Amino acid sequence: MSALPMTLNTTAETETAKIARGLRERDMELLADLVERYQHRLVRYLLYLIGRREYAEDLAQETWVRVLQRGSQYNGRQRFDPWLFAIARNLAIDDLRKKRKAVETASLPNDRDAILLVPSSGPSPFEAAARSQDAMRLAGRLQILAPLYREALLLRFQEDMSLPEIAQVVGAPVTTVSSRIYRGLATLRSAFEEGDSHGG
Amino acid sequence: MEGDKKFRELIDRSFAEEISEGERQLIRDHIRDCDGCKRYVELTARTIRALREFAFTSEPDSNAQVREILVHHAGIMRQHNVQSKIWAAFAVALSMSFVGSALVYQMARRLAVPMHFDTSQVQPGVLIFWLLPSLCSALCLLAAPGENRGIA
Repeated sequence: MSALPMTLNTTAETETAKIARGLRERDMELLADLVERYQHRLVRYLLYLIGRREYAEDLAQETWVRVLQRGSQYNGRQRFDPWLFAIARNLAIDDLRKKRKAVETASLPNDRDAILLVPSSGPSPFEAAARSQDAMRLAGRLQILAPLYREALLLRFQEDMSLPEIAQVVGAPVTTVSSRIYRGLATLRSAFEEGDSHGG
Repeated sequence: MEGDKKFRELIDRSFAEEISEGERQLIRDHIRDCDGCKRYVELTARTIRALREFAFTSEPDSNAQVREILVHHAGIMRQHNVQSKIWAAFAVALSMSFVGSALVYQMARRLAVPMHFDTSQVQPGVLIFWLLPSLCSALCLLAAPGENRGIA
């Protein structure tokens, strides 16, 4: 019985090592395969992070170019997706900061993540993606929820990442990650609490 | 209420991370008698379920577009790589021209005496027959067309 997890583990290691080697050699076939496997999840992650569809697609493309350029930095010892999401996150933060600097003369705080505390503006991509009544009820809350919390919720409950993996993506301690998850959950849960108390 | 708060923290933890079987049993025992916490568990589970009920559709040609962009960038990077190799080779060739010329000059000066040459003739000789041709060869590296230019 214990042989199966071990086999799976070995397979996973071989897989990440293969990806690392392919990225070092700039293997275009491997890159095309990675795009096929991760593009959808990457766009979804960026959508949760910045809350705007077209912008997320553009950043996803930039992320893949960065993967091509800096692929040799992936060591193949961890899963590929947290590394990919971390690149996307850094690009998104840099881009958001540039955009904000362009419209605001006041300097931005030194904390890179501070930019992710500002809720996204514009039409909500979440309403169009909601596939149930309950999801529809959450859509509005998700749009106004600070991206930091939205990101933590996505990584935990849609990407099924462990807390240490999320910590690797967001570059924060595990305790910070868990508190973001709890605060995000509390905000979204209130959508149901209020709805039910109003007879909805 | 303080007890409920602690239980709710434990409930949150049970959804977000691994908790022990003992802690799970504690939650089960507690919600059997506490309607508030039972509802809290239900609402949290409902929230997480709803979070999984968002399906984003990709642009149909999104993957193909990314692949195209990657091929384009890979081409540019290859070109940059070749360019930097050429500049490195040029730098090496240039420095070798000067170092080599200095050595040849020293040697020619020593040989000039037994061969009855005027040492003042050695300098233009080395310049014309050694330094200038080697500088021209180094410059040819930059001027030659194509990716390979004999060094890639």
